[in-house]
This record gives sequence, C-alpha cells and structure tokens, in this order.
Amino acid sequence: MEEELTSTEKLVRGKGVYVDDIRLPGMLHMAVVRSPYARARILSVSGGLNGNELKGGVESVGEGAAAAASETTEPIFGLKSANYAGQPVAAVFADDLYSAQDLMDSVDVEYEPLKPVMSIDEALRAPPIYSSTKSNIMSEKWRGEEFEIADAPLVLEDEFLNRRVATNPIEPRGLVASSEGSRLTIWISTQSVHSIKEGIVGSLNLKPENVRIIQADTGGGFGLKGGMYTEYLIAAYAAMKYKRPVKWVETRREHMMASRPGRGVKGKMKLFADRSGRVLGLKGEVIVEGGAFSGGMGEFASNFIALQCTGPYLIQKAHVRALSVYTNKVPLGPYRGAGRPEAAFFIERMMDKLADELKMDPADVRLLNATTEPFKSPTGLEFDPSRPFIEKALNEFNYRKRVANGNAGIGFFVLVPALQPGETCRIAVRGKKVNVWLGGNSHGQGHDIFIKKLVSDEFGIGEDDIIVERGDTDQLEDGVGAWGSRTAMVGGAAVVSVARKIKDQIEKEFGEYTPEHLLSNEFDVYTFERQKGSLTSLGGNMASVDIDALGTVNVKEIDCYYDVGRALNIDMVRSQIIGGAIQGMGQTLTEEIAYGPDGQLLTGSISDAGVLNAESLPRFNIKLADSYSRLPHGAKGLGEAPTIGVPCALARAIEKVSGRRIRETPVKPELLVGLEG
Amino acid sequence: MTPASFDYLSPASLEEALGLLKEHGDDAKILAGGQSLIPLMKLRFTSFPYVIDVSRIKELKYIRKEGRKLTIGALTTTAELEESGEVRDEFQIIHDACSNIADPLVRNMGTVGGNLSHGDPGNDLPAVMIALKARFNLQSASGKRSVSAGDYYKDTFTTDASPEEMLVSVEIEIPDGRFGAAYVKHKRRAGDFSVAGVAVAFSLDGSGRLGSAGVGLTSLGPTPLRSAGAEKALEGSKPDGEGVKKAVEAARADSNPSSDFYGSREYKLFVLGKIMEKCVAEAAGRAQKEGSA
Repeated sequence: MEEELTSTEKLVRGKGVYVDDIRLPGMLHMAVVRSPYARARILSVSGGLNGNELKGGVESVGEGAAAAASETTEPIFGLKSANYAGQPVAAVFADDLYSAQDLMDSVDVEYEPLKPVMSIDEALRAPPIYSSTKSNIMSEKWRGEEFEIADAPLVLEDEFLNRRVATNPIEPRGLVASSEGSRLTIWISTQSVHSIKEGIVGSLNLKPENVRIIQADTGGGFGLKGGMYTEYLIAAYAAMKYKRPVKWVETRREHMMASRPGRGVKGKMKLFADRSGRVLGLKGEVIVEGGAFSGGMGEFASNFIALQCTGPYLIQKAHVRALSVYTNKVPLGPYRGAGRPEAAFFIERMMDKLADELKMDPADVRLLNATTEPFKSPTGLEFDPSRPFIEKALNEFNYRKRVANGNAGIGFFVLVPALQPGETCRIAVRGKKVNVWLGGNSHGQGHDIFIKKLVSDEFGIGEDDIIVERGDTDQLEDGVGAWGSRTAMVGGAAVVSVARKIKDQIEKEFGEYTPEHLLSNEFDVYTFERQKGSLTSLGGNMASVDIDALGTVNVKEIDCYYDVGRALNIDMVRSQIIGGAIQGMGQTLTEEIAYGPDGQLLTGSISDAGVLNAESLPRFNIKLADSYSRLPHGAKGLGEAPTIGVPCALARAIEKVSGRRIRETPVKPELLVGLEG
Repeated sequence: MTPASFDYLSPASLEEALGLLKEHGDDAKILAGGQSLIPLMKLRFTSFPYVIDVSRIKELKYIRKEGRKLTIGALTTTAELEESGEVRDEFQIIHDACSNIADPLVRNMGTVGGNLSHGDPGNDLPAVMIALKARFNLQSASGKRSVSAGDYYKDTFTTDASPEEMLVSVEIEIPDGRFGAAYVKHKRRAGDFSVAGVAVAFSLDGSGRLGSAGVGLTSLGPTPLRSAGAEKALEGSKPDGEGVKKAVEAARADSNPSSDFYGSREYKLFVLGKIMEKCVAEAAGRAQKEGSA
C-alpha cells in the first residue's frame, strides 16, 4: 500500500506534480519572442502569433491591482513599441520545446531602438516615455497632513534606495491550457486560482462559467504567482485557436527579464526631533520605480509604503508624498513584503540616525518614541502599544548585554497583513472523509498542516480523515489568494467558520454534535468569511555581523521576536521565519536585478541575481510573543515579517561594524572598504 | 536543456578524435566535462554543427608524478585533482584552485583540459598554470607541439590552439630547493565566479629572498593574465617586504578588469592587492617546508 504523504512531504520527496510534469495528448510547447531592446519603436512584426492578431492588454488582477486600459497598461504583445528588454512581441508553437525554440527564428521584428529611461532619477528628469502622459509620473498621492515646525531643535534628512530584487521561486512561472468545446481549462502554478480566472475571463472576454483554473503543485511564489501575465493569456488564446493543449514554462533567464520583481524604491526622509530624542514630525517622499506599465503593484505600492512610513512610533505629525514613476524595465510586482520592507527600512534607518546624532542607544530612542496606547499615525498606520513590545523584545534579545560587542543592530516594525476582504472555504463531508478547499493556494508553505490541525480540533476527528484539496475554481466558487501574510489568519478563520457552521447544523439535526454524526452523514458548506478593519502586529529583529578586509559581510546571528498571535504550528512558523530571514539577508547583502545603462539585463541567472546559499546561514534565535488575536483561532500574520525586520537590523549591524552609513540595499562591498560603489 | 540541433560524435580514442577535428575544423567543438559549453549551448548563446564528446578517451585521464614533475591528462576531472593526495601534499597551489572551483557537482564533471582551454578569464586553473610556468601539450592529426601557459591565452574565449588541435596534457616542473606556491581567490558567495584571483609561485634562496617567480591573475582582464611586472618586482625581494607592495602595483598595472555587478573596477583592483599579499605570505610559508608547491 502506498504511504500517505502530506503535501509538503510529497514536494520534498520529489513526488510533486508541477506544471512541467503535466503532459496532455497533442500538446504544443510555446516559446516567446521578446524584445531585445529596453525601448524601441516597432516598425513591423511578422511570423508566429503576434500583436497584429492578438490585441488587447493584461488586465491587472491580484494583490494591489485595479483595472485600467490605455497606452500605459501592458499589452499582450508589443506591436508598435517595446518598453522593456524581455517584453513579448510574438509567440511560436511546436510539438516539442526544441522545435518551438527553433521556430523563434521565423519571427521577423523590425525595431528602431530609442534611448531608454533606466532609473528613478532619470525618469523624473527625462521627457515622458508615453505621448499620452505629461511626465513619467505614474501616480502621485499624499498621506498625512502638511505641517511646519519652525523651531525644531533637530532636523535630519537622508535618502535611501532598495534596489530591485527578483522573486526567484525554485519553480518559475508556468501553465498548461486546454480547450474543449466552449470550455477552457488551465493547470497553473499559482497563489490564487481565482485571481487567475478573473484575469483570463476579463482579458480574453470569456464567460466565467467556461473557464476552469486548477492549481498544479506550486514550487514557491513569493508574490510572483498571484497576478496575471501576458504569457498566460497568449497560451490560453493559442489553446483555443489551435484546439490543442499548450504548455509554457518560463526559463530562469525569462524569469530574470520578464517576471515582475519587487522593491525598486527610493525614500527621502526628513525627521524633526527635540534634543531628548523625541520625534516631532516626519516629512517623506517615497518614489517607486513602477517600470514600463501602470495598473499593477508599481502604481499602488508607493501609497502603501507611505502609509507605513511612521513605523511603530508615536509620530503625531507626518506628511508623505507617494510617487510611482515609469521606466523602461519590466513592471514591478509584489515580492514577499511588497512595500512593507521598504517603509520599515526608511524609518528605521532614520531612527538609527537620530540615535547617532544624539549619541543615544538606538533602543532608547525607539523606546522613547514608542506608544503605551493603541495608536493610529497621521499616515493611517494602526498598531498595538509598541513600548511594552519593544521592551519585551530587547529582553528576549538580551540586547543590553549583547549590543556591548558593538556588532549588533535592531529593527522594529508594524506588519500590515492583507486582512481584507477575508477568504473563502468549502468543507464537504462524504464517504467518511472531510474534504477542504481554501481560497488562497499554498505555494509550498504546507498550508495543509495548519488546515488539518484546525479542522481536526474543531471536529474532534483524526487528521487522517481530512483531505486538503488543491485550488480548483470548479470546486470553490470564489476566493482571494495566498499573499500578504494572510492565509493562516484569514484562511484559518474561514476554515473555523465553516467547521462551526457544520457543527451547528449537526446540533440542529441531531440534538448534539459528535464526530460520528459528522462522518456518517454528508455535508457541503461554503463561506466567504469577510474581514473588516485592520489586524496589524508588531515585530522586532536583531542581527550581528562580522565584516572582513574585503568588505564581505558574514551574518553571525539573527534574533526574531514576533507577534504571530497563536502559532498554529511552531515548526511551520520557524520555517517561515528562517526562509523569510534568508530573503531579507539576500536583499541586504547580494540580491539585485541589475541593468546596464543601455537597458540590457546584467543579471541573467539565479547565481548572478545573488540569491544566498546554505553557506550564508546564520544562527537563528526565534522567540514569539504570548498573544491571541481577535479571530476565533487566534492567529495573526507572519509570512512577510522577516523580510521586513531583517534588512533593518542587518543594515544597522553593518553600519556599526563598518562605521559607514548604510543607505542602500544591497550593501556593496565597495562601500564597506571605502571605495564608493 | 534545449540547444539548437547538432551532430553528436563520440570518438573512442584520441586518434579518432583528432581525425574528427581535422575533418570538421571550425564546425566542431570539443565537449569534455560540459560545465561551460553546455550552459552556453542550452541558452543558445552558441551552437555548433558538430559536438565531439571526448569523455570516452580514457587514455587522457591520469595524474603522473615523477620527482618534481607533474603531468596531468586533459580529461582528468578537477575533483580527481582535488582529491589526489600527491597533488594536495606537493602541489598545494593546484589543490587551492581545484577545491574552490564552483561547487562539488561542477568539479565532479569539469576537466582540467576544459578549464584551461575554454579561455574564460574567470576560470581558476589558467592563472595557476601561468604561475607554475606549465607547458601545455597540444596534438592534432598532423603533429604535436607544446606551448607555455603564459602564451596560451589570446583573447576572451580564444586560445593559441587551432580548431584542429586538442590540449592533451599539462606538464609542471618545479625547481629543486625551497619552492612555494599558492592560489587565493575572492568570491561573493560559495559557488560564484571570482571577483579576482591571484596565483603566485617562487623559489626562496638561502637568505630568504625570492628567486624566479611566476604570477597569474584570474578575472582581472579579458584573458587569464600573466603579470610579468609583478614577477620582476618579487624577484630578489623578501616575501614580507617592499617588493610585495611593488608587485601589487605592477599586477594592477598589468590588469584591466571591467566594472560589473560583481564589483567595480576599483574594487577588483583593491581586492587584487589584498589577496596578493595573502597569497605571497601563504606561498612563502609553504616554501619554508622544502619541496612543495
């Protein structure tokens, strides 16, 4: 008999079925012809499937999206112009991948290269990329209220940059699309089958009932796999056109050039304070490099970052300008943290600067400005009293003793999870088994572990009786997605809600709830468990480092103290923290998507992109706050916490040891050895 | 792995391989361990009508030590060199390099001949062979010749070997007396290409001064480099003296690195200085223990 494996065990033992493992009879393989230029006028395109036939744009869906359609939204194919190196201009199809790649030579594109706009500063200076816009500003908003403090004893200004970072899941993007009759079925690597369905239906103008999206085993997402991509639409269209299944799996090189990366944000901060270290006000400017097209994360991230710029502190006056700009790079996307790490980096770097200016301990400056009551900042950030949390964290870090070595840095933050609008769940009981569908799809985290625990606890049944189903829009009518530190929190709440509804039903029918009543009958209950308001949590990190004579940073220890509410499974919480911390380290030390001034990608491989390997692992000290949220199962958000706190703490540790002010990630060794990078 | 189509040829002997090279010339490429060629082909950055897989030619897989002379067959893997006790004990500089090439998976497949003949300025063994003043034995259907390591590298990915020739072995002979050599490489993370690498080899005379020296450089120009200036500066100096500083200056003058995301030009030249000092000290330490390189 075959051994029962959890979804996680299947993946780890190589028994997963990913998109690339799916083979359907008559399946075509798709290869995408991409613009080699960052910016060009396209004089003609011929060959393959191209924009002369397939017009329209990518309707933006998923985290941080809104619908729009104009010259500045991403077309399915570049037809008159190309606006980033890697933008699709045509696609070709063949019986095998070798032949498909051979066919790429049959596409003729005539380009007239133009000078690309390749940085935030350049975007603000240069004439607009698009004729329909007056400048390269994609969006502009303000948060907080204008204020003047004429007599502030201390005014500190600084400027920071988090460079773009690729999401780099082990499994890149991919799908298989198949059309039979009026029905289109797509197997895809995703964080949300419902988000994909919405995009396919909206962009290709299909009837929702004719589209089915099924999740394949998904080897990591980190934000990459929540939204719609032009390649998905091309494959879906081709499957309907050729009446044959179409497979597309991106190469790592395509991932580097055409998958939406994260970060890419500049922060200009001006802090007003008195000489005791109390912050009187904050003025800021957040500028997001949105890339070539509007309508996605790039457009909206700046406002979300501005919201969080006040950090966990009692800052009564704040005014922050939120800008997003166009450049000739692939559009920005969400990457684990998605705006949260940038905001924390900017304010925490300023708090350290304030401490240095007044020769105070950075912990004391933070304690002085922390709150003893719940607080809502002028930019709109709501959080629990931060002072007791920071005090507890410093104790857990043994801060006062360890910081005496001079090689440690700390960072504190408010985690704003994607609470709204809630999440869906369906539980169907039949044949003595409990089948569970959840609106957000696990992309390697092992959600089935906490889902089984919650269902088992609610129903008083063994985990062997519970089957966690994969995402399938035919089985679950609606859903949101797994991103924004939300699934254990809002997905978990939806699971508990549906379980309790079934229990209530059993009580009504049988007078009392028993597991036997549950398993020997049939039930099928679906709920969209809606969430309102906010449910933020606090977190803190400490990091310590060594730096050698060549400017190489060796991270020795990372301490974490997070409020995750009730930890549903401590091993999963630890793995989430360690994985996220390594990504936070990567962003701080080596990770970057870099381009030459001509707009050509310099980081074409996962190795070039600077992803850390096992050798870089520090010692982790992980502590959790004793906490229980207002949700029925007590959970709070977690997934993004380490990518927010670790860069702050690490940047400070590097600053302490090197004696050089850290303003950018990744921190270049050039800076640390005294050669400006 | 979806390269453009090619004819795969798999000769069983050196003679057969050289015949195929003569027949196909420029249209053919030798495939040894495949650690550089296959990634380039898979990304379709390069393609060849004929790929000649030489991995069946067992006669080119050997490590032979006779006294102070070491001969290495071109198809010896870098892992085999790394694991050889004789190499580790008596030619430590080669062990330094081999144990730092990429990762164990690459070393298990990659060969000495491939590492030396790909002509990549980031490969580690060329600088080591330049410092050791090794001789490269080339063979073609029409004859044999030998070329010194320092004269082998002509341009990026271009060596002195003609399309019909194949590198079949490398010969290293270290002088009698006290001799020390070391290779130091700096990289961002485990598995990366180097930011810079320095190989130094020299004799030490009775008064503790350096005799004849060899200096090879990795990732510091369009080809693996020999720094004749650094060699001259080292000769006659003490391993911890002014000569080393002069050698660093000379090596910098002989280098021409370009700025990329592994580091700016200035940073690479800075790294060169730091690791060269370390490398000379390491080699001098080894020279104190007679008879090893």
